[in-house]
Amino acid sequence: MSKEWVLTKSHFRKNKGTSIGLFLLIILAAMMISSSMLLFTDVYPTVSRDAKRLDAGDGFLRFTSDLTGIDDDCIENLMDDETERYESTSVLFYNSVSVPFGAGKVVMHIHVNNPDAFERKMAKTEIILEDESITENYIYLPYQFYTSDSNKIGDIYSFELNGKTYDLTVRGFVNTTYFACNNNGTYEFIVDQDTYDEIRNRDGEAAEAIVVAYELKDGVKQSKFAIRVCNDLLKYNMDTEVYAVSLSSVVGGRTFMSRIIAICFLAISILVLLVIIMMLVNSISNYIKENMQTLGALKAIGYTSGNIKASLLLMFGLLGVLGAALGVGLSYITIPVIADFVVVQMGVPFHASFNPVATVITVCVVVAYVLIVTVLSVGKIRKIDPIIALRGGVEGHNFRKNRIRLDRSAFGLNVSIALKIMFGNMKQNIITFFVTGFIVFFCVITLLMYENFNRDPKLEMLSFEICGGVVGADYEKKDEVYEYLCEREDVSNVRNIMNIYLYYNDEDKLWTYIMDDPAQLKNQNVVYTGRFPEYDNEIAVSGKFAKEYGLSVGDELKLDYGDKNHKYLITGLIQTTNNDGREALLSTKAAEHLLDFTYAPAYFNYDCDDAKSSQKVLDDCTDKFGDHIVSTMNFWEVIEGSMTTFKTIAKLMLYLVSAICAAVILLVLFLLIKSFIYSKRRDFGISKAIGYTSGNLILQTAVSFMPPIILSVLVFSVVSYFAANPYMNLMMGSFGIVKADLDIPIPGVVISCVAIIVISFFFAVFEARRVKKIEAYQMLIAE
Amino acid sequence: MSNIIETNKLCKTFSNGGVQQHVLKNIDLEIKDGDFTVIMGASGAGKSTLLYALSGMDKPTLGNITFNSVEITKLNSDELAIFRRRNCGFVFQQTYLVDSMSVLDNVLAAGLLVDKNKKAVTEKAKEVLKSVDIEETLWDKFPTQISGGEAQRVGIARALINNPRLVFADEPTGALNSQTGKDVLDALTKFNEKGQSIVMVTHDITSARRGNRILYVKDGEIAAECNLGAYVPNDPDRHEKLRDFLGKMGW
Repeated sequence: MSKEWVLTKSHFRKNKGTSIGLFLLIILAAMMISSSMLLFTDVYPTVSRDAKRLDAGDGFLRFTSDLTGIDDDCIENLMDDETERYESTSVLFYNSVSVPFGAGKVVMHIHVNNPDAFERKMAKTEIILEDESITENYIYLPYQFYTSDSNKIGDIYSFELNGKTYDLTVRGFVNTTYFACNNNGTYEFIVDQDTYDEIRNRDGEAAEAIVVAYELKDGVKQSKFAIRVCNDLLKYNMDTEVYAVSLSSVVGGRTFMSRIIAICFLAISILVLLVIIMMLVNSISNYIKENMQTLGALKAIGYTSGNIKASLLLMFGLLGVLGAALGVGLSYITIPVIADFVVVQMGVPFHASFNPVATVITVCVVVAYVLIVTVLSVGKIRKIDPIIALRGGVEGHNFRKNRIRLDRSAFGLNVSIALKIMFGNMKQNIITFFVTGFIVFFCVITLLMYENFNRDPKLEMLSFEICGGVVGADYEKKDEVYEYLCEREDVSNVRNIMNIYLYYNDEDKLWTYIMDDPAQLKNQNVVYTGRFPEYDNEIAVSGKFAKEYGLSVGDELKLDYGDKNHKYLITGLIQTTNNDGREALLSTKAAEHLLDFTYAPAYFNYDCDDAKSSQKVLDDCTDKFGDHIVSTMNFWEVIEGSMTTFKTIAKLMLYLVSAICAAVILLVLFLLIKSFIYSKRRDFGISKAIGYTSGNLILQTAVSFMPPIILSVLVFSVVSYFAANPYMNLMMGSFGIVKADLDIPIPGVVISCVAIIVISFFFAVFEARRVKKIEAYQMLIAE
Repeated sequence: MSNIIETNKLCKTFSNGGVQQHVLKNIDLEIKDGDFTVIMGASGAGKSTLLYALSGMDKPTLGNITFNSVEITKLNSDELAIFRRRNCGFVFQQTYLVDSMSVLDNVLAAGLLVDKNKKAVTEKAKEVLKSVDIEETLWDKFPTQISGGEAQRVGIARALINNPRLVFADEPTGALNSQTGKDVLDALTKFNEKGQSIVMVTHDITSARRGNRILYVKDGEIAAECNLGAYVPNDPDRHEKLRDFLGKMGW
């Protein structure tokens, strides 16, 4: 091994710059792989681990409205023998309340609890931050309020419940499994006992609710259990409403963005690994070409091909091991920063710790990858004949064509020579073309994410319907409210959209949207296959649900509600990120087979210009119809709050991907230009001798790299334009998005493309300044 | 005849691991217009160093060089490159053509540096190539596809394309066999006869015979010079005179 080590040291000395460039790429690849592994194996499972630690069980049930008869015995019977254990607690419940969050508001179900919440045995509450000196009029908010930078301890948090505003001092932030994330629909506010009593006394029995956390016995299916409880509940009280949430849907909701980020990281790692293949193959091939005589001499004095190959393997293997180790180390430094962004959406504290699985897998993957590519690239060393190699190798100038003849070129001298250089370096052009192409693609994807999650959020992806606001009116006044809204000039497209759970085979349930005419939906992209239901025997269901039960367009679906059931024909599949991909759409006349809407309230969605005009509509309705208005929602206002986490993460991705893309393209140009200048040093010396200035040669070198970059930018910007949405659909398929149709910000893409070209050119010029160091005379006497 | 180059106390010192080696020592020299000056000397005497210093390819440690009334020792490397392209032509021992360029492009790459008129430069390049007996069939070939002698003549064509004041030739026949070497020397002689000034370094007495002025470098100094007069082929006296001169120098 000692003779190989001697050679290894020699290779490294000769290729210091290239080795360092490759080393940096390996570090970057290892860092990205390790980061995505840590997100997958550490950050993402944090929610599950946390749920286990807080003893969340398998889900919770919330009983609301009329609790008459829902006593301990009733709950014990409902839990039947399907649960291993359960815990029942009382809370004050407020349905769909708009509360301040992030930059705006979110509409959430709110549980108001007293400090007894800290005593729960199941679905425990854990204090993350606290100031015990605050002793009265206080509130503990979910930790997500802290991670989203909405609030700090000591702030006054104002919220409104049933028309009364409460101004409470934030005493701390808590972590709970079920009530701590805006993607799960329910927040728990824990307030001091006096405030709790005040709210309870004011809102009385109407706000009281029972929450039962449970752990199922092995083999009991979650959805079946929930449906059975709903059905059995009818025996005790027909008017009690029950809401069931499973742990798996909560975990899914809380890790939505961490999964997207982890997948993005993995995709970037793949990009960097592809770049490493190209650069490694290029470096080894250049090494062999440039050191032909040395290799011949080594063979002549008795080194075998195996010794030489082993020495190269040793060098690149060492670079791989050290790069992987450093990259993994860096990922442990950066993961808390990345996790900070993920935690904004998860709302669960994350503390980075050593993860042996992620570490070992990353190091093994990177090292094995580098070694395999090296083994495949060094094969040609075996074919080197010492005599031929000592003569400098076989000159392989087999130019088929003299491209860009100087006597006929339409370009100036420098550009013509640059183009000549370019045509003489096809391998370099191919590498540059594909690396630039990958980078353009990732830039387009990142810009698309920024555009659709941050700048101009694609709300229809996160919500079934988008509108200006929603007015809920009771059955007595719903027709009047509808007429009133239709008459207003600042309102358009008034449509009644009701929601209800319908049941499938006592096995699963579908959150069903019911409206008179689905053609009124603003979000016409919601049906991605087939068409909207029109007739009273038609339904559209979510693709994820259909896939799980092997259903497709044209199949029949029997749904139950209470003691009624009806068969519907599936006319279309809808995409949704909500309700764990279990949603459906029915026309009102189709729903009437199962439901009687005579006494049901109506929820009028309407379109309007902005938040201000929406608020005016809501205020006017409340003034005019008073208690007949059962709920109001200013959609514009809740957008800001709901989008806070997505915006933050989209911004992170924009910065991160931009930085990585810039680093990759600069590293690749660094390596290519460095090796190009080294291999062409003789020609540069000759050129300088006959009168070319360093400026001429720098320009020629930089310009020779530009055609593949420009061509790649043009080709891949077009390819990315068409491939971006299919790619995003693929990425978001597991979240229920099948036909995203996201906007591609063309000005942003154009600016990025121009920036890639300009930055590449200036960096190429900067890097080509190495030509200055080549002295014609030194080159001549060195020969 | 006017002087193209004048040097004043020209010194060149190389440092190697703290050891200083004085390769050129206080050289005062004039190169005259129209001369075919030959620099001879033993290996390591400093003749190539002198040639590259005179041409502005290498910078002297001390002293100055006036080339065509310009003190080139004061120019920076880019100014020197521009100066070289207008005033100097180079013929190297190893030819040093750019492998990725065709024969014609190698000549044009030098010619178009000075004159942007592509048509005129191309015409001239073809003319020069013809004058060094490079046939049209070779113009589109690459340096690796032609013989050493042909490559060296292409090198001469490249050196002459810009009508330089002075052509510097460093052992132009060093890597060639006697016949191709003769062809190269014939080409240089022909251009000298037309008025082209040439400075050539050689250690080959047959090559040196082509010059009209022989400078002998010894230990970094011009030890002596010999004037042979205009070149006359197959002149036995010229050969004897040169041999005597070199004999006195300990050749």
